[in-house]
This record gives sequence, C-alpha cells and structure tokens, in this order.
Amino acid sequence: MKSKRRLLFRTGALLLVLAVAAVMFVIGRGHTVYFDNKTMEYNGQSYEAFYKVVVTVDGEQVAKLSAHDRGMADTMGQNFRMTLEITDEKGAEPRTQSVSMPLPYGMDGVIVNLPALMNGLPGDVYMTEFVPAPVKEEEEEEVPGAEGEEFELTDV
Amino acid sequence: MNEKMSNFQIPSKGGKENRFSLSQASVPLMFILICALCIPIAGLSPSYLINEIITRMGRNSFLILSLLIPIMAGMGLNFGMTLGAMAGEIGLILVSDWQIVGIPGMILAAIVSVPISVLLGVFCGNILNKAKGREMITSYIMSFFVNGIYLLVVLYLMGSVIPIKHGSIKLPRGYGIRNTVSLLSMRQKLDNLLAINVSGIKIPVATFIVIALLCLFIVWFRRTKLGQDMRAVGQDMEVARDAGIDVERTRIISIVMSTVLAGIGMIIYLQNMGNIATYSSHSQIGMFCIAALLVGGASVDKASIGNVFLGVILFHTMFIVAPRAGAYITGDSMIGEYFRVFMSYAVITIALIMYETKKRRDKSQTGKELAAAQQAEEAEAGKEA
Amino acid sequence: MTENTTMKNRVVEALKDFGLPRLIITGFLLLLLIMAPIVGADLPTQISNIINRFSWNGILVLAMVPMVHSGCGLNFGLPLGIISGLLGATMSIEFGFTGAFSFVVAALIATPFALILGVLYGWLLNRIKGGEMMIATYVGFSSVSLMCMMWLLLPYHSPTMVWGLAGKGMRTTISLEGYYIGALADILKIEIGNISIPTGSILFFALLAFAIWAFLHTKTGTAMTAVGSNPAYAKAAGINVDKIRMLSVVMSTWLAAIGILVYEQGFGFIQLYMAPFYMALPAVSAILIGGASVNKATIMNVIVGTILFQGIVTMTPTVMNNMIHMDMSEVIRVIASMGMILFALTRKTEAKR
Repeated sequence: MKSKRRLLFRTGALLLVLAVAAVMFVIGRGHTVYFDNKTMEYNGQSYEAFYKVVVTVDGEQVAKLSAHDRGMADTMGQNFRMTLEITDEKGAEPRTQSVSMPLPYGMDGVIVNLPALMNGLPGDVYMTEFVPAPVKEEEEEEVPGAEGEEFELTDV
Repeated sequence: MNEKMSNFQIPSKGGKENRFSLSQASVPLMFILICALCIPIAGLSPSYLINEIITRMGRNSFLILSLLIPIMAGMGLNFGMTLGAMAGEIGLILVSDWQIVGIPGMILAAIVSVPISVLLGVFCGNILNKAKGREMITSYIMSFFVNGIYLLVVLYLMGSVIPIKHGSIKLPRGYGIRNTVSLLSMRQKLDNLLAINVSGIKIPVATFIVIALLCLFIVWFRRTKLGQDMRAVGQDMEVARDAGIDVERTRIISIVMSTVLAGIGMIIYLQNMGNIATYSSHSQIGMFCIAALLVGGASVDKASIGNVFLGVILFHTMFIVAPRAGAYITGDSMIGEYFRVFMSYAVITIALIMYETKKRRDKSQTGKELAAAQQAEEAEAGKEA
Repeated sequence: MTENTTMKNRVVEALKDFGLPRLIITGFLLLLLIMAPIVGADLPTQISNIINRFSWNGILVLAMVPMVHSGCGLNFGLPLGIISGLLGATMSIEFGFTGAFSFVVAALIATPFALILGVLYGWLLNRIKGGEMMIATYVGFSSVSLMCMMWLLLPYHSPTMVWGLAGKGMRTTISLEGYYIGALADILKIEIGNISIPTGSILFFALLAFAIWAFLHTKTGTAMTAVGSNPAYAKAAGINVDKIRMLSVVMSTWLAAIGILVYEQGFGFIQLYMAPFYMALPAVSAILIGGASVNKATIMNVIVGTILFQGIVTMTPTVMNNMIHMDMSEVIRVIASMGMILFALTRKTEAKR
C-alpha cells in the first residue's frame, strides 16, 4: 500500500514537472519582431507607408521609423503587444494606437508590415517569416581540443 | 567495537571536531592576510570591490553548495561536479536552439539537465563505489573521462545525429557546436528580476532567494532519514552497514544529488556570464569551486554552509585583487593571474595534506587507545587470576 | 584431451587477466594498422612515427615503475621531475652550451634539482601514506603554476629564450635548433626508405630500462618491491620503509627529468609555463594500458604500453582523416586513456604476495 502511494506520488511529481516544462516552452518562446514601414501591394490595393511611426514595446521606445524603414524588437511569449504612434503624412496629427497580435510558434523572426496590419489585412498577409541570409564564415574556427591543452586563464 | 554497535548515534570522531581547531582556521586566516596585503596595492574602489563580490556570490554560491552533500556522505571533494556542469551546459545549448528565452528558458534548461545529471551521477556513483578509498582521484579522472564523452556529443553528435536547427550555434563545418554560444536572450534575467540598487551596488535579490532556498533545503535534508543515513555512512561505512543502511545506494544518491545541483548551479552561473564557452566553461569550474570551499575553512570531511559563503568572499577577493597587485608590484599582470591559479591549487594541496595527516593521526590514536585498553584488560585478567 | 583444455583454460585466464579495456585498445590499434594501407595512409611513415614517439615518451613512462613498486601508487606528480628537467634545459642554454653537448649539460644540471625536489616530494608522501595519488596530482599542479610565475621572474637573458621586446620573461616555446635537437636520435640513425629509426634514443631508453630492471633485482630493489606489496612484512624484516619509499620517489623524479629532456630532443622544442600541467596523465595511462596496475608494474608494461598508446595517438588521426574526413582523434584519445585509468582505479587491490 505504501509503495503504491509512493508510486502515485512520484508519477504525480513527474507529470507536474512535464507540465511545467510544457508551459515554459510556450511562455518562453522567444521571437524577434521586425517592423516594416513599407508600402504594401495586396489584391490590387496599395497600402501606403506612413510618414513616421514610433513603436513602443513594454514602455520602452523601440523604433522610430520613417517611410521604408525597418526596426526590430526581441520579445518573449506568444502574444505581442505594442503601441504605435502613427503620423500618416507630414504635418498631420499623430494618432496613438495599441495593437496586440499573436505570433506563430514556428517562426523565429517575424516581419510585420505595419501599413497592412493597421489596415486590417489578414494575418498571413501582414506577417512573413524572416530568414537570415546565410553568413559565410570566413574565419576557420579551431576545433577545440580536450584536456585543456591550451590552459586558458579564465575568470570564474 | 561492541560499544559502537549498541548505542548507534552519530559519534563525533575524536571529540576534537567541536572545538575550533587552529588548523581549520589556518587557511582562511592565510587568505585574509593575503587579501589585506593585496587590496590596498590593487587600488580598487571599495564600491567596485563590493559589487564584484556580490555578483560573484550570486554566481557561484549555488555551485559550491552542491559540494556539501558528498562531503557529508564521506565521499570527499566531489571533483565530479563537472559532470553536473556539463549537463547544465547541454540543457542550455538545447534550450538556446529551441529559442526559449528569459527565465522560462532557464527553468526549461534546468528541467532538461536533471535527467542527464541523474544518469551521469548514477554512473559516477557506481564507479566511485568500486574505488572505495580512492574516491577523490577517481572522481577527478572521471571528470576528464566524461569530458571526452561530452566532446563526442557536443562536437560531433550535435548537429548531425541530434538535430540542431540554428546554424548560428553550429560550427562552419555543419555539425558540432561553436566555441561560444551566446546567452544574450537570458543574460542576467534572473539577476535582474528583483535587483535592488543600494548606493551604486547592484544586489540580485532573486538569485539570492534561490540560493537561500537551497540552503534551507540542505539544512532540512540533514535532518531527514536519508540525510542521517548519509552522515552515518560518512562517519564509518562498516558501522553504517551493520546498522542496516544500504551504504552503496546512499553513496550513489549523494553523488546524484550533488550532480543535479551542480547542473542547476551551472545554469545560474552561465546566465550571469551571458555566454557559454562550450569547451572550457566546465573544466575549471570544479577546481575553483572546491578551492573556494576550502578557503572558507572546510575540509575534506567536514563542510558547512558558512564555509561556502566565507569561502566565496575570501577566494574571490583574492581572485579579483591578485592580478592588479601583481601588475603593480612587478609591472606584469600575468604574474597576478598565475598567482591566483597557484593559490587555488596550493589551497587544495594544503587541505588534502591536512586531511591525510589527520586521518593517519586519528588512526594511530585509535590504535594506541585500543592497545592501551587491551593492556588494561590484560592487567585486570592478571589481577583476577 | 586434458592438455588441450588446460591450454584453453590458460589462454582464457590470461585474457581475463589482461582485462577487457586492454583487449579493446589492442584490437583497435590492430584495426587501425590494417586499415591504414587500405585507406591510403602511408604505413611505413606511420610506423616510423610510432617508433619515434615511443623513443620520446618511453622514459617518462619508465618513471612510473619505481613508485608503483614501492607502493606509492601512480606518480601523478610527474610534473615535479619535468620541472627539474626544464630547469636543466633552460640553464644549459643560458650558460651558452650548444649542440649535442648541451643535452649532457642539461642532464647534469637537472640532476641536483631532481634530487632535491624528489627528496622533498618523498618526505611529503611519507607523511600521507594512503592518499598519495590525489596529493601528488595537486602538488604537481601547484608547482607548475608556481613555476609559471618563476619563468617570468627568473633572471634569464639568453636571446633565444627571452621575449625580444621586453627583454625579460621566458618565451612559451623555445626552439632547440642549434642545441640538442635530435641529440640522441641522430646517433646511429637508420633510414630505410621512408622509415627512420632513432637508434640512439632507443638505445638510451634500453639502457635506462635495463638499469631499472637490474636495480629491481638487487637487494635494495627487492626491498622496494617488498615495501610495496607487503609493508608489514618489510618492516618486520627490518627494512626502513620510509627510506625506501623516498628512494623510489627520487628515482622517479630523476627519470622524469631525463625523460622530458629526451622528449624535447625528439620533439624539438622546450615547452614552458602550463605545458607540463597534464603531462602525467598520458604516462599513467600508457603504463596502465601496458598491463600495469596501481601497485604492480614491470618493464614489459612500460614497453608494451608506450607502443600501444603512441600507436593510437599516431594512427587515429591519419586513418580517420583518410577514411571519413572527420578527425575524432582527440576524443578517442581522451576516452581511451582516461577510461584506462578509471579501469585501473576500480580494480580491487592485488592480493598480497
């Protein structure tokens, strides 16, 4: 009887740990969001880039974009919240708007086209995946040795 | 012999343990002296020094605390904590690749490292059981051996057999992990979580809370049955075996616990550093942590939580101050760097020598006592006859 | 019928005694040797490399024997002897000796250092009987790091050894061109096509090996073996255990000093600072691979072990590179050598003779 209770306890603990791990997977997913202030063509309609956009994430100003600029921010979690201060044209009054959007789990880098987003276009239009250009490694990185043959005087 | 078996408590060996012995204080005193000499020479501002010490305390304490349990169980200095450090590193590399950031990333890395740590700990514990009496040199060689396996996994299997998605952490040849893996995404996230700034000194409160929790755990653990068993095994294996304790299993459990804690401690250490030196982070961490513990007044068979914190303060002060002092005295900063490496090794050497001489003295003491007791018995028998 | 079974039993017993790890390592080496010509590696050059490396390392491995015999365990404190050798080498160059003669001078200067350090080391080991190996390791480390500071401070001035710009502080590696590079190797060197055999070095090794073997058969030598295998009996027989142990430590340290000089003349460079740090480990695992244990070692163990160890170190990179274009030699060397030491440490102590 006692060993059965122990087994139950242990399975419970294991399941708890797995659940915590799963939660970590979701809330900890890091993304880099790139904001494009670029004119977007879609379905024959053209959505103009704004004159100036100020992007604020988590209380910190992250980017100040003129037309055709790109900014970026690192974020954690599946839900992305930002505040945009948009000036449509030169001399116009800036309008502030808060946007909250879900980020797809699979993408590391997400490009958000701001005009498309603000004009209510569907998610798969204003979001695209950011694929970093393969960087050609020039430096021949030394394959490290074992046993610390080069005894490095490191800091602890 | 019979007396020992009938009242089985935890008798203290020789009775000298409870008195504050000079030999125990000699190493910390020596370090206090060195620091007192070097600090003014180094010319560092006190706030810088205090800031550095607090940072290092937050960074290293968890790792050093993991050394306490094997000492309690009589396994000596656990040079095999490197195994736990490797498990923590593998956890962080994987989590990095899965793009899990911040504190959730750290928690996930810790969860991933635990099964690896347990596996390595069981392996290590079993080998140590086969080498009773030579635990320290065996765990020392074991850390090299497992380093070879770690190399095999991280340098060859990762990226080829174990899928790694991101080219940025792989070597240019396509498989194997780079020499440095950046942890920018979780750098100091735990430290900054509840950081307080006191007149220019940053105190990582969250990290210290985690360390405090581990201290509470260790204090509580000492009172549990398993903890008592370990202390019994540490005192005298044969007596513990006669009292019905599964000595082998207890020893293995102590190593497993130490390895798991070392894994988590390594994650805390690396989140503070901000990047992993994939092939060298773990190799010296074992030696420095053991040196720090010994500087705090611990010995091969006796260590307390106080030793850990005193050791961090003294050892790391020396560590910071020595290169500067060396540069000032001789004009060459390399002298100071070699000096601090020399001090770390010298401290371990002295502690090992003190331990071995004490062991031999105790043995000859017990021998003398037995001989005297025998003589007394024979005298009694002679009188009666 | 019975003769065959006894033969089989004897073979099985011998194999079991040899131990599984050693069989694996020997088998692996044979495999490499067979594979070499198949994958296009130049076998004669490789064999020549193995013989050369044997001649460099042989004496360092030989240094293990005296201390194992006297019960001091495996000499993890080899760096102490190596430091004596380094002091001899650098001072020989500093005093202006060149050519092959500088080797002789180096050996002469190294000897008193080795004797002094050996006596101190031996005295320490006598105080801590039972924990020799661990303390030896850390004594070795402490002394290497102490010497790192010394190499920067000692008053050396020879331009080939000191950093040019600052004028003081030793360089990390010092070339032996013009000094004793190949001093022993070139004596009676045999070159057949691609194979070059450093006869001089091998003869020197054979000389020292024979000397040790002969010593172990003298009265003092047998006393040494007795101290190691049965200290109680040795004491009862009136042997001064401490003195014999100290003698073994001094012999071991001196052999290490000469050993590093031989290594340098083959390798071509003097390596200072942290180079001696881990040098004990290959020597320890070499002798263990050759069949020795923590308290039993013969000259045959030294020869077989060094050949096997250096064979693996030489063959693995070339064969693997030619075969799969992937150099796993480092990993294999670490796992094989450390695994061997672990195996030896976990063996039960040999039965007292």
